[in-house]
Amino acid sequence: MEKIKHYFKTFLLFELLKGLALTGRYMFARKITVQFPEEKTPQSNRFRGLHAQRRYANGEERCIGCKLCEAVCPALAIKIEVAERDDGTRRTTQYDIDLTKCIFCGFCEESCPVDAIVETRIFEYHGEKKGDLYYTKPMLLAVGDKYEAQIAKDRAADAKYR
Amino acid sequence: MNFMDVVFYVFAALTVFAGMGVITARNPVNAALFLVLAFCSSAGIWMLLEAEFLAIVLVLVYVGAVMVLFLFVVMMLDINLVRLREGFWRWFPFGAGLAGLMVFEMIYVLGARQTSDTGGNVVHPANYSNTKELGRLLYTDYVYPFELAAVLLLLAMVAAIALTLRRRVGVKTQNVSDQVQVKAADRVRIVKYMQDGSTDTSAK
Amino acid sequence: MMDLLLSLEQAGQNLLGAFWLPLWTLVKIMVIVGPLMGAVAYLTLAERKVIGWMQIRIGPNRVGYFGLLQPLADGIKLLMKEIIVPTGSNKFLFILGPIMALMPALAAWAVIPFNAELVLANVNAGLLYILAMTSLGVYGVIIAGWASNSKYAFLGCLRSAAQIVSYEIAMGFALVCVLMAAQSLNLGDIVNGQKGSYGLLNWYIVPLFPMFIVYLISGVAEANRAPFDVAEGESEIVAGFHVEYSGMTFALFFLAEYANMILIAFLTAIMFMGGWLSPLPFLPDSIVWLFGKVAFVLFLFLWFRATFPRYRYDQLMRLGWKVFIPLAIVWVVVVGAWMQTPLWVW
Repeated sequence: MEKIKHYFKTFLLFELLKGLALTGRYMFARKITVQFPEEKTPQSNRFRGLHAQRRYANGEERCIGCKLCEAVCPALAIKIEVAERDDGTRRTTQYDIDLTKCIFCGFCEESCPVDAIVETRIFEYHGEKKGDLYYTKPMLLAVGDKYEAQIAKDRAADAKYR
Repeated sequence: MNFMDVVFYVFAALTVFAGMGVITARNPVNAALFLVLAFCSSAGIWMLLEAEFLAIVLVLVYVGAVMVLFLFVVMMLDINLVRLREGFWRWFPFGAGLAGLMVFEMIYVLGARQTSDTGGNVVHPANYSNTKELGRLLYTDYVYPFELAAVLLLLAMVAAIALTLRRRVGVKTQNVSDQVQVKAADRVRIVKYMQDGSTDTSAK
Repeated sequence: MMDLLLSLEQAGQNLLGAFWLPLWTLVKIMVIVGPLMGAVAYLTLAERKVIGWMQIRIGPNRVGYFGLLQPLADGIKLLMKEIIVPTGSNKFLFILGPIMALMPALAAWAVIPFNAELVLANVNAGLLYILAMTSLGVYGVIIAGWASNSKYAFLGCLRSAAQIVSYEIAMGFALVCVLMAAQSLNLGDIVNGQKGSYGLLNWYIVPLFPMFIVYLISGVAEANRAPFDVAEGESEIVAGFHVEYSGMTFALFFLAEYANMILIAFLTAIMFMGGWLSPLPFLPDSIVWLFGKVAFVLFLFLWFRATFPRYRYDQLMRLGWKVFIPLAIVWVVVVGAWMQTPLWVW
């Protein structure tokens, strides 16, 4: 009896019709597409996007050239050169991030003792040449200067979990 | 020379060209494709003779099915041209003799056709259906040879399957019929965990 | 309308003489192929929209209002792209492949009737002609796969050739049932055979329902559409036989696939669903019905693609040879016996 029922179900394409009914129902379901440039999905304050270098409130750059980020970077995307500045402090002369290598793991941010290198919420950046995605120190500082308010807010929101 | 003649000569030239191609092409796939062209152009000639059923069946059966299977085999051949050319002159007399015999046969057959009465151009009524006429002949006057041919073909088919069908041991092919027969209940058992740690297997 | 056309034809005959017939035929061919190409373009849009909706997305909507210019943009993009001919490929056959794929897909339209009078060539053996043309479609695939000199393309073409040849048999037997019922190979006569005072109940879909299913599913397999698109099989052999093609040569394969889909939809509508006949006896017959039925079958094609996962190759072959062909042969006998009894009312 069970077998006969099974045969009938097979030949009447019962399961196929069930599948068709499901997709047919979803055809009229409310669409969940986000219309990207106009609408955006909410972002976490831990979002890991474009990198930035931060400064202290007095305008002094935070980075002390400890090279922890360079050491921890799994994709070897960071290159740092360090020299002593005239006032005797240790500063970077070169701080490059190759965004075509970067995997946005956030390890650089985690390893930084002075919160100098951070990842921002920006993800809609582009380059027309491959070289455009090779970010140097002035570029990173510029990103940091421009979005400092947002960066600081995100750090503050996440502070109690760190 | 009217339009029909032009079409005939075009198709005829194409058929001859394709036929030459079949025997001169080095690559067997090209040769097979030339044969396809030959079939198509001869179908065109048959169409001119108002034998549209035969023409279409030629395309349908030979081009659409037989040559596809032919190409299937030929495409997977690994051909060594040097080895193929070996012994050309040794077999040449035999081949030439065979070719001569075929030419003689064709002249004999076609020559005999010339002398007999072909009935000339038959004018058909507008609703004349080649297909119906052919079917009527096949199933009345020639029904015995027709059935005989069908049985022969069936026999050949069964023989071909019997020759190639072999059960090998140790192959890990899946049996689709068994797979299709499987029901969810045979494979999955849904177990409901109770609060006290016991299980209830009757849950659906 | 018909009178106008006839008088136009007469005038042309007087003006151009012997050259008029080829010219006039060419015009008629353009009148069919032009809208067909437009339909193909918008079928691609419809496909993306419908599948999008079924996946709770909205589909293309950026190029033009509602995405209506999307096919145009795609076409222009493909036209501008470079045609790359792989080294070690047979150049002549490589270019011939897509042409051979598209040619039969278009040639079959010569005998498709749009209503009682509107047909390019009213051939007596129209159904046979269609079968012959659709069986030629496989050459495009074979030639393309072999000439590409690539193993993925070659595997794809072998799969596709075996699949198309197998399903053609089931398709042929399903059509044998239709022509037994209609007692004619002429497509116009087949539609007229479905005429009657009960509308929908007079269509061949009623007595030949299993064959309708067999034909529809074989049609999906013939057109190499999901769930039978093992010839493409993106996850296994990249894109199958057309993996080496780019630009316009690729576009031709694309056009051929969709033109074949539309052709099979038309054939299904004509053979089983009464062509231009209206489903309700009190409504007039019209070409609109034909287009409506075709649109319905095409929607089914898209619906299948959005719903079913791809068949495994051995399952596909089993379905063709061990299910459809026996079923179709049995139904030929059933219909033959049925037609000898007074119970046959179609």
